[in-house]
Amino acid sequence: MRFLPLFALFLTLPLLAACADDAGEPAPDAEVADAEGPLVIYSGRRDVLVGPLVDRFRQATGLDVEVRYGTDAELIAALQEEGQASPADILWTNTAGALGAAGNAGLLAPLPDSLLGRPAAFAPSSGRWVPVTTRFRVLAYSPQRVDTTALPASVMDLPQRTDLRGRIGWTPTYSSFQDFVTALRLVHGEEAAARWIEGMKALAPKAYESNTPMLEAMAAGEIDVALTNHYYVLRMQAGQDTTAAAGPPPVAMHHFAEGDAGNLALVTGAGLLNTATHRDAARRFLAFLLSPEAQAFAAEEVNEYPVVPGAALPERFLPFDRAVALSPSIDFERLGDLEATLQLLRKQGLL
Amino acid sequence: MASGSSLLPVQARALPRLFPRPYLWGPAALVATGVLVPLGYLVVRAFEAEPGELAALLLRWRNLRLLGNTLGLTAGVLAAATALALPLAWLVARTDLRGARVVTLLGVLPLAVPGYVMAYALLGMTGTNGLLARLLDVGWPRPSGYPGALAALTLYTFPYLFLNLRTALLGLDPALEEAARSLGYREAEVARRVVLPQLRPAFLAGGLLVALHVLGDFGVVSLMRFETFSYAIYLQYAAAFDRVYAAWLALMLLGLTGALLALEARLLRGRRYARTGGGAARHPRRARLGGWAVPAYAFAALVALASVGLPVATIVYWLGRGTEAVAWGDLGAALWDSARASLPAALLAAGLAVPVAYLGVRKPSGPSRLMERVAYLGYATPPLAFALALVVFSLAAVPFLYQTLTLLVLAYALHFLAEALGPVRSALYQAPPRVEEAARALGRPPLAAFFAATFPLLRRGLGVSAAFVFLSAFKELPLTFLLSPLGFHTLAMGVWGAAGEALFSVAAPYALVLILTSSVLVGLLLRGT
Repeated sequence: MRFLPLFALFLTLPLLAACADDAGEPAPDAEVADAEGPLVIYSGRRDVLVGPLVDRFRQATGLDVEVRYGTDAELIAALQEEGQASPADILWTNTAGALGAAGNAGLLAPLPDSLLGRPAAFAPSSGRWVPVTTRFRVLAYSPQRVDTTALPASVMDLPQRTDLRGRIGWTPTYSSFQDFVTALRLVHGEEAAARWIEGMKALAPKAYESNTPMLEAMAAGEIDVALTNHYYVLRMQAGQDTTAAAGPPPVAMHHFAEGDAGNLALVTGAGLLNTATHRDAARRFLAFLLSPEAQAFAAEEVNEYPVVPGAALPERFLPFDRAVALSPSIDFERLGDLEATLQLLRKQGLL
Repeated sequence: MASGSSLLPVQARALPRLFPRPYLWGPAALVATGVLVPLGYLVVRAFEAEPGELAALLLRWRNLRLLGNTLGLTAGVLAAATALALPLAWLVARTDLRGARVVTLLGVLPLAVPGYVMAYALLGMTGTNGLLARLLDVGWPRPSGYPGALAALTLYTFPYLFLNLRTALLGLDPALEEAARSLGYREAEVARRVVLPQLRPAFLAGGLLVALHVLGDFGVVSLMRFETFSYAIYLQYAAAFDRVYAAWLALMLLGLTGALLALEARLLRGRRYARTGGGAARHPRRARLGGWAVPAYAFAALVALASVGLPVATIVYWLGRGTEAVAWGDLGAALWDSARASLPAALLAAGLAVPVAYLGVRKPSGPSRLMERVAYLGYATPPLAFALALVVFSLAAVPFLYQTLTLLVLAYALHFLAEALGPVRSALYQAPPRVEEAARALGRPPLAAFFAATFPLLRRGLGVSAAFVFLSAFKELPLTFLLSPLGFHTLAMGVWGAAGEALFSVAAPYALVLILTSSVLVGLLLRGT
């Protein structure tokens, strides 16, 4: 056919590009002046949460900033396909696992100690990204329908609660849950983690795509307990619903015993990309995220814990030290071992 | 009247039949390559897999279950959509229903509602804290799984069938029916044996669109917690950072689509729908409803209520619940961004559809039919894969286009081209080739003959095509997220971003403006046709 050579040409172009792009050499971190144009952030966190912070940075520094929104994985896939030609400077994600994956793919540049020193408690050993906020896993429950005295002390006891059959919600496809399963594997071993998942499956839990629909479902009476992150519960309790009926809030949170894997602390973070052409502005932005103003905003508006010590927290939060004491002590970088968790979830048919 | 071919001038007959006229084959080739690029990308990614791992990933019971779910949902939605669309189209095109224009508008309006908004609305209406519970103290269980996905998908895809069927019914030549009646057939038999078979191309085109929508949807099925193939693909990208497994699933999905397309081609082969005798076609006679008028109105009202009334009511309810003032500036900017991407895309897609459909209908041959099928493959390609493929391709071939509006418009037009093909194809099937051949015989060059004789008959089809593509592009998400220029913020992005965080009162103004603008466009286009 006449057009065969033309088709062949168009087919080989992506082939060549795809073969050529895989994780280019990290650029030397020489002190080069920033290029023209705006600072470009790829954000896996949503607009309604990130927009106001970016606006404040713009006003405070007068620098031009543009944000591309998406999910962590969409953006990482895009970054890998873009290769060296990527216009992005900063990657700001929803989970440490995503940053770990980005680091493994060679996308991130090392950061100076001045940035990593401040949130030292949560800083990763690789030094390739900086934590920005902290969140904790909790068990959300419906106060109207669940007896608080009967809630389990350990997340490992949950599969034995046959009275909750069909009334449990979880989010096996969501990053925070996967990080939690990784923690289960690290703390209790592979066998126990696999048995836990099988035990949970026997209770016919309802799988939601993400936490917000799950808590909405709880408020709507579809489920009674759910494994989720603390700030979803706080957000729901402080919701914008002005016509809500008076009475107890539709959701509440339960913490497991101290050190239990069910109280896992997780961080969100941001990293500097190897392809960045506005390094100076990028470092200033990362420093801004760790400033008292931004950390207080995160607590007040987004209901997440700060990573920098000494910030004042609103009343509705547990004291920071208490929350940290509840969570198991694990090296955050080890949570980056996502591949084995995904294999486990696939084997169990959840993914 | 003698057949036309013996009257053609000698030099016209000397034109080699197979050699393409560039203005026909050029756009068609552009479409084909624009769609084969994502396919090439998927194949490249897929072959990065390690064989051992791959076997374990592909040969799983889970994939079989996904396939079963997907096929079951598609069949169900097709049946339900036909049950809604065929009676409505009949009422509007073949009876003396008063207010047929209003009913037509209501039948097309669901196109203005994005699928995820429909799903959110269904969920927001039901449940112990939903709208129905607040207003009527009735706590309906929230829809989920197969029934929920079926309801949401049917309610927003039936307009594709409705429009195609209506266009076809309006273009039918009554001579065939009158001949049947004169041979002694009763009304019901005339309808069954003469009218319905002529609707086959329209039904296949509209049904194919509905099926492709169901195959490709992941927003609705994820909210309804029903696992289909495309949801699994989305999960691999979104949850597992795994482009390789996702590529394999995408290729399987495309295989499924290819099977569907082959089936449709087989069902359409060798059929003639244009008038072959002398004389001209007239408008079909409209049946009198009489006592059937009341049930007819009730049916139309019920469909409209479920498909349009429901989401709008829920959105207005959310709007009322909000405590913060609406940011009109942001809203206006979002509207402008949405429009300046969707409108050019709609025009481009309609323009590209004409040569592709013309080749498929008037010059059916292996390559031309293949080209049409390839356009449908573009529609079936998971949008995320489509976007990533275009990222790779544009950075390699045309880097200055990367993250510009031009690329986004191209992406929309190529991805949604299949929606533009259906109405144009149906119209071409009904346009008699003899008129164009007569124009050629009178000495006009081929292109001028086409514009003089056939193009005016395609007006209605083209309008519908452009409308379909505009509405799809207006509410599109994955392509927009990855390919739009930095700082580009559409209404759809606004709705999705806020609704995903359960900030429904923030999402409501965006959703409302999206639906209202789409509705206005739908109304205008219907008037034009």
